[in-house]
Amino acid sequence: MSAPAAVTGAPRLLRASLHHEARSFAPWIAIVTALSASSVLVYPWVFPTQADREGLATLVGSNPALGLIFGPAFDLSTADGFNAWRALALGGLFTALGAIFVVTRATRGQEDSGQAELLASGVLGRSSRLLTAVAMGLVMSVVVGVVSFLVAWACGGGVESTALLSATFTATGWMGTGIAAVTSQLGAEARASSSLAVATFGTLFILRGFAYSVEAADWAIWINPLAWMTETKPSVDNSWAPLGLAVALTAVTLAVAFVLQSRRDFGQGAIAPAPGPARGRTRSPFALALRLNRGSLIAWAVGFGVLGTVFGYFTTAITDLLSADEGIAQILAAGATTPEDLFGAFLATIISLVGIISSIACVQMVLRVRKEEMEDRVEPLIATPVSRPRYYAAHVGVALLAAPVFLTIAGLVIASFASGADIGVTFGEALGQALVTVPAVWTVVAVSIAVVGARPRLAIAAWAGVVISFALTLLGPTFGLDDWVLGISPYYHVPHLATSAYSWGGLAVVALVGALLCGVGFRGFRHRDLATS
Amino acid sequence: MPDTAQVIETQGLVKRFGRFTALDGLDLSVARGEVHGFLGPNGAGKSTTIRVLLGLLRANGGTARLLGGDPWSDVVELHQRLAYVPGDVALWPSMSGGEAIDLLGSLRGGLDDARRDELVERFELDPTKRGRQYSKGNRQKVAIVAALASNAELLILDEPTSGLDPLMENVFQEVLGEAKERGTTVLLSSHILSEVETLADRLSIIRAGRIVETGTLAQIRGNARTSVHATLTRTPAAADLAALHDVHLDGARLTATVDADGIGPAMSALAPYGLESLTVAPPSLESLFLRLYEDEGDAAGAR
Ligand SMILES: Nc1ncnc2c1ncn2[C@@H]1O[C@H](COP(=O)(O)OP(=O)(O)O)[C@@H](O)[C@H]1O
Ligand SMILES: [Mg+2]
Repeated sequence: MSAPAAVTGAPRLLRASLHHEARSFAPWIAIVTALSASSVLVYPWVFPTQADREGLATLVGSNPALGLIFGPAFDLSTADGFNAWRALALGGLFTALGAIFVVTRATRGQEDSGQAELLASGVLGRSSRLLTAVAMGLVMSVVVGVVSFLVAWACGGGVESTALLSATFTATGWMGTGIAAVTSQLGAEARASSSLAVATFGTLFILRGFAYSVEAADWAIWINPLAWMTETKPSVDNSWAPLGLAVALTAVTLAVAFVLQSRRDFGQGAIAPAPGPARGRTRSPFALALRLNRGSLIAWAVGFGVLGTVFGYFTTAITDLLSADEGIAQILAAGATTPEDLFGAFLATIISLVGIISSIACVQMVLRVRKEEMEDRVEPLIATPVSRPRYYAAHVGVALLAAPVFLTIAGLVIASFASGADIGVTFGEALGQALVTVPAVWTVVAVSIAVVGARPRLAIAAWAGVVISFALTLLGPTFGLDDWVLGISPYYHVPHLATSAYSWGGLAVVALVGALLCGVGFRGFRHRDLATS
Repeated sequence: MPDTAQVIETQGLVKRFGRFTALDGLDLSVARGEVHGFLGPNGAGKSTTIRVLLGLLRANGGTARLLGGDPWSDVVELHQRLAYVPGDVALWPSMSGGEAIDLLGSLRGGLDDARRDELVERFELDPTKRGRQYSKGNRQKVAIVAALASNAELLILDEPTSGLDPLMENVFQEVLGEAKERGTTVLLSSHILSEVETLADRLSIIRAGRIVETGTLAQIRGNARTSVHATLTRTPAAADLAALHDVHLDGARLTATVDADGIGPAMSALAPYGLESLTVAPPSLESLFLRLYEDEGDAAGAR
C-alpha cells in the first residue's frame, strides 16, 4: 500500500513540524483554558446567591453592548450557563486565531522564508505541505478542546455542557483552519494571508453579536458559521447537531484550498500587491520602525477604540450590579468603604486590563527587532552610520509610545462613559487613571526590551512580564495571594485616582525597575554579536 | 582620525562561534585606493571577517583597524565613510526596491541622485517592485545600487555578484572600475577567481580562517607552477625529471608542473625523449587554488 503521490512525505513532515511548532500552540491553549476554567471557578464566588444571579441576568439582558462580544446569555443561573456565555465566543475566537496563525506560518510563512522551497524540492508530494499545515491547525484545535474540557471539568464544570463548550472551541478552530488554508492560497505573503483570515473571522464575530443583539431573523443567524456555535446552547439545550455544520464547512473550505493550491504558482498568491513608489520617503530608523509597525499600530488602535466601548458600557452597567448587591450595600452602610473607593478600584481594574492588553501589542513590536535581525535586515542598517543604540531606540521608542496612545484612546472612551454614569468618577479621573497606568505597561514592556537586547535566544521570555502581570492582576486576588506576591505585578502599584487615598511611591519604584530593565536591554544590544544566518 | 595608507589592517584576528573557530589568526591588509580581491572557498571565513570589520561581530582576539579607527568602538564615524553590500541581501517585504535604496542611502548621509538613477538604469532594475517580488539577483542589484550611488571612500562587497547574470556581471565590473577611478578603495570578496582577476590590484586568499597567500596577481602567479603536458616518443627515466614536479606518466604521455624559473631546464630534460606534442600553460588561479588546497590537505594529513 502506498500513499497517493500528492501527499508523499506528509506524515514525516507533520511529525517534524509538530516537534518544532508545538510550543507556539501553548499560549492559545492557555488563554482558552483559563477563560473557560476561570468562569467555573469564579462564578460561585462572585455570584453566591440566587439574587446575585438574577441580578447578573438582568444586567446582561439590559446591556446589548455585552452581547456584541459575548453573544446572548441563555442561562446565567448556573456556573455552566455562565461559562457558556462568557467563554463560548471568545474561546472559539482565540482557538481560531491560533489555528489561523499556525496554518499561515506553515504555508505562506515557509514560502516567504524560502524554507518551503527546500522542502518542496525534497521527496514531498505537491499537496504535502498544505496537508501538514492543515493537520497542525486541526490538531491544535483538538488539543485546545481537550485541555480546556479537562481543566474546566476538574474545576467543577458539568460533564456534558463543558464537553460541548470545549467542542465548540475545537469546531471553531477547525473552521479557522479551513479559512486560513484558503486565504493562504490567496494572499501574496504570509501577513496578507493571515490578515485576510483574521478579518473574515472578526467580521463574522461582530455580525454574530450584532444579529443576536438586535434579535435578527433566523436566517441572519443561521448563515453565520460562528452563530452555529452559539446555537449549540451548552448547558441549556446541549445540542450537538450544529457542530456537524462546522465540520462540513471545514471539509468544503479545505477542498477549495487544495484545488486553489494545485492551481497557483509557488510563492505567488491570487492577489498581487500593487507596485510601490520608485523613490522612498522613509529616511530614518524611527520612520522605518514606524512604517514596519504601521499596520499593527492602526489595527490595535481601532481595537482599543472597540475595547474602550465595551469596557465603558461595562462601567455604566456595574453601577446597577453593585447597587443591587446586598453584600455591598451592607459594607457601604457599615461605613467600611465608600462608593468612591469601590468605583475607583473598579475603574483601576478595568484600566489595568486595557494596560495588559496594550502590553501585548507593545511586546509584539519589541519582538519585531528580533524578527528583523533573524531575517538579516538589521545588518545592512547597522552597516550605515546608524549606531546600534539608535537602531534599537527607534523600535523601542515606537513600542513605548504606542502604550500611551492605546491607553489614551481606550481611556477617552471609558472616561466619557464613566463620567456620564453617575458613579462619582469624573472624566478627568478616568482619563487620568488610564495615563497613570502607562508606567506600569512600560515596565512590563521593558522585560521584553531586556530580553531582546541581552538574551535574544530566549525570545519567548519576552512575554514573561505580560503573563505574570496578567495572572497576578486577574487571577491573583481570587486565590487569596499575599500582598507582596500581588505586588510583583506593576499594575498593583498604580494609584487609584478616584479613591480617597492613594500614593505614588509604588509607581516610582515600578518606573525605576522599568528603567533598569531598559538599561540592561540597551547595554546587551550594544555589546552582543548580531545574529548571522 | 589619522589618514593612514592602510585602509584595512588586521593582525591575528580570531573569531570563535562557541567552540568553532571561524577566524584563526587572520592578517589582512588593504591599501588606500586599491581593489583588493578577497578569495576563498565557501565557509572559509570571508563573511565573518567582513562582519568583524563592520562591527557586527566582536573579535575574540587580534586587532583590526579600519580607516584608521576601531571597527567596534568607532562604528558611526567609520560607517559614514564606507558602504556595504551583504552576500545575502534581505529586503523589507512590503517596501519597494527604490524605497530601500533611498532608506539605506539617507541613513548613510545621502546619495548622489544622478548616479543613483543612472545605476538603476544600467542594472535594468525595476525600483517599484516590492521586496518580496525580487529574485535573488535583483535584490543584490538593489544593494549594489545603494552602495555604489553613495560617495563612500571604502566599499566592502561580500560576494556581490552572486545571482547576477553574466550581462549584469559585466555592468558590475564596469561600474566598479569607475569607482576605482574615483579613488574608492574596494574589498571584494568572492569564491570565483575570474570575477576578481580583471579588477583586483592585489589578492588575499583565505582558507579555514587564515590568509594563506597575499600579493599581486603576478606575484601569486609567480609563486605558482606552470603546467606542462607533453607526449614523448620514449618513456623518460625518472632520474632525468628532477626539474619537474607532480610528475604523472601514462606510458609516453607526461603531465607535470614546473617552477616559474624551471621552464628552461625542464625543456632541456624532456627534449632528448622526443617531443611529439607540448602544451605549457601559465598557472591559472584555479590551479593555484587547487595547489593551495592540496598543500593544506597534505599538511592536515601529515599531522
Ligand atoms: N553565527 C555563526 N554561528 C556559528 N558558526 C558560524 C556563524 N557564522 C559563521 N559560522 C561559521 O564560520 C565559518 C565561516 O563562515 P563565513 O564567514 O560565512 O564563510 P564564507 O567565507 O563562505 O563567507 C563557516 O564554517 C560557518 O559555518
Ligand atoms: Mg559568505
